[in-house]
Amino acid sequence: MQITGQLALTVLMGIFLVGVAAWLARVENWRSYTPLASGGGGAHGTGHAEKPSGVIRWLTTVDHKDIGILYGFFGIISFVVGGLMVLGMRIELFDPGATLISESFYNSLLTNHGITMLFLFGTPIIAAFSNYFVPLLIDADDMAFPRINAIAFWLLPPGALLIWAGFLPLGDIVPAQTAWTLYTPLAAGVGNGNQANAGVDLLILGLHLTGVSATMGAINFIATIITERAEEVTWANLDIFSWTILTQSGLILFAFPLLGSALVMLLLDRNLGTTFFAVEGGGPMLWQHLFWFFGHPEVYILVLPPMGLVSYILPRFSGRRLFGFKFVVYSTLAIGVLSFGVWAHHMFTTGMDPRLRASFMAVSLAIAIPSAVKTFNWITTMWNGKLELTTPMLFCIGFVANFIVGGVTGVFNASIPVDLILHDTYYVVGHFHYVIMGAIAFALFAGMYYWFPIYTGRMYQRRLGKWHFWLTMIGTNLTFFSMLILGYAGMPRRYATYLPQFSTLHQLTSVGALILAAGTIIWAYNFATSWIEGPKVQDGDPWNLEETGMHTAEWEWFDRKIETAVTDGGEEESVVADGGGERDDA
Amino acid sequence: MSTEDAHDDHGHHLPAVEDWPRGFGEASWWPFITALGAGGIYLGAALFIVASGQDSTISPALAPAALVGSVAVFLVGLYGWLYHAFVSAFWSREASETSGKALRWGMIAFLGSEVATFGGGFAYYFFIRTGAWPPQSLPHLLGSLVVVNTLLLIASSVTLHWAHVALRNGNRRNFLIGLVATLVLGVIFIGGQVLEYYEFIVHSQFTVTSGIFGSAFYGLTGLHGLHVSLGAVLLGIVFVRSLAGQYSAERHVSVTTVSMYWHFVDAVWIFLVVVLYAGAQLGA
Repeated sequence: MQITGQLALTVLMGIFLVGVAAWLARVENWRSYTPLASGGGGAHGTGHAEKPSGVIRWLTTVDHKDIGILYGFFGIISFVVGGLMVLGMRIELFDPGATLISESFYNSLLTNHGITMLFLFGTPIIAAFSNYFVPLLIDADDMAFPRINAIAFWLLPPGALLIWAGFLPLGDIVPAQTAWTLYTPLAAGVGNGNQANAGVDLLILGLHLTGVSATMGAINFIATIITERAEEVTWANLDIFSWTILTQSGLILFAFPLLGSALVMLLLDRNLGTTFFAVEGGGPMLWQHLFWFFGHPEVYILVLPPMGLVSYILPRFSGRRLFGFKFVVYSTLAIGVLSFGVWAHHMFTTGMDPRLRASFMAVSLAIAIPSAVKTFNWITTMWNGKLELTTPMLFCIGFVANFIVGGVTGVFNASIPVDLILHDTYYVVGHFHYVIMGAIAFALFAGMYYWFPIYTGRMYQRRLGKWHFWLTMIGTNLTFFSMLILGYAGMPRRYATYLPQFSTLHQLTSVGALILAAGTIIWAYNFATSWIEGPKVQDGDPWNLEETGMHTAEWEWFDRKIETAVTDGGEEESVVADGGGERDDA
Repeated sequence: MSTEDAHDDHGHHLPAVEDWPRGFGEASWWPFITALGAGGIYLGAALFIVASGQDSTISPALAPAALVGSVAVFLVGLYGWLYHAFVSAFWSREASETSGKALRWGMIAFLGSEVATFGGGFAYYFFIRTGAWPPQSLPHLLGSLVVVNTLLLIASSVTLHWAHVALRNGNRRNFLIGLVATLVLGVIFIGGQVLEYYEFIVHSQFTVTSGIFGSAFYGLTGLHGLHVSLGAVLLGIVFVRSLAGQYSAERHVSVTTVSMYWHFVDAVWIFLVVVLYAGAQLGA
């Protein structure tokens, strides 16, 4: 009976699939998506003449720009989800007791906030920029492997679904409460808690899938930047953003697959009874070593491209070229190499061998040097420059300011005696959020504002942009500076409740988080309305970069795109790009 | 600047000229379908775990059905992908220096990521190897089977290289002979591994759950076995394509990349035999 049931289901599934295939084939015959532009012949790859229309365009696209936009949407949705999760936590933390949500739900939010922001927001939103702009900056036709580019994106939605599955009403599945580090034995389902529940397995599977996606993207970027550069783009004049993406891809290449192996081992421990992370086998220390061998490079995977964005955008509004370009590149490569030698600084309090501990402290302190090289280069770029305080520039300056706080607090954490006191307190949370929110997210916002005209063909509302910046800047510093003080005062991290003496600081933190939420709402409103009805950008130089001789390849491409659209009979009748005169002699 | 002239000269090459849907240059269903299949495989695995829970309400037939269906979709996607991207316009497709270089770099980067994939398993083994040894009664690891298997795999690397050289010298017959020999040796190797597993599990009662060495042994040899199997599939694809008349002394990028992969898997095996088979016997 059982077997016949299975057989019947398999057959049904097969018939269903054949039906889907037939339906898809019919969809193609409908020809609902005739090519859009009439004269596609000499198009400069404006990106609209060679695609189906409607939803099918987005499902089938292998164009790096479209895939970049898809990554962007995915990243923003994840940002909203992860942001709502943390808002839930911060509102709960407004008073000392567990009043609004249960402790276990708090733990679930905590776990998924971290994982969502790092794996579903951070990495994908960086890919939104690198996909769109790296091929333009190095003057390639597309990525080296356009189809792999597409599949790397399409693996993310099922991965996200699995990661968030615990929150969906699916029978007896509870969301994981392991924190994003998935430390064993808790994450191995040992003990009396409910972490043997399938929710953790689903999370592990989803993480593995997003890791596969990230690795595919990294391979693609390495091949693209090495082999697809136009002849004029040499290693010597490769732009700083592509350098950081290349370094980041190198880090992904060794970090994510190792996490993948560790996750599979954890999954086997949970379901097959292997002993990889059991106490008699590798033990909890092996998990921590493997996890942080991935986890610390992951920090640089997330921070290097935003540093590239700042190095790229900040000079445009300083009226000067990036100070010490070479040394910014060298420091990027140095961080890339050093990042694999610092992982155990997350484990100083585990009782590991003190000699090992000292060497990890040395390398962790050493990584401050290339980071400081970058910071001083950004400051000297602005020194005596002609600063234009546009929204992207404000976010760049905010990045530098917050990165200094985040970086210096990190130096303290890297020294063993200080870490022994501050470990697992809010100080650590404040430190890495200064980097992740204060620096990484700031640079990503800078990039979104700077290239908004290219993404959408329109301009955002400047006043709202300024509001967004100042609310975000104030909110970030209020939230995370309060956390630093909370840490000094001895408040341990990850707790849903706290002693009454921490009330004031916790409330300040929560107010800061609400200010951040307000800023984010303004940003979302600004981008949505501007995309729909903002003023159209008329020429390929909305930032007046030509005055200072900083017009770069992606804006030249954008300029050609606008011109092609006009000659094709676009709705614009106004004069095209007066700045384009010297370039369109072709 | 000369940048602009160069722009107009090389124009814009579209990545997916021959593809489904037809008639576009930047559209392909295959990545989406393949991702749907791959995602479905993970969902199937998830259903499997959920259904094996104590009081699960999910039908136990759902997970296998989802897995089978997803694997089918995945394979269909891969087939269409390979066909449209590489096979269908093999001779007419522009075979530029760049595209070959990109594929070789892609394979090098992939193999770099494989080092990390294997690294996780080896890290576990080294971790337990530093403890008291042997942790349990070990099975008889260094038998004739593993020696023969190792020699077979090394020989398969030699035959593959020989075949590749023959192709580059324009000797099609020797290329095919070498390819078949490699494929046969690879399949025999997989058979040898299956035989070893059978011996261990049935006769020595040494399974994946037999102590901490069992996890290391089956984890590492299993991962390697999966890689050899993938290699055999890749060699099979190259073989079918060469039977269909593809490849020449000038056009052989996929032969290059597949043999890079095969040599890599071979090298991993030698390392694995030295540290896991021989290394476990040392001091035991």
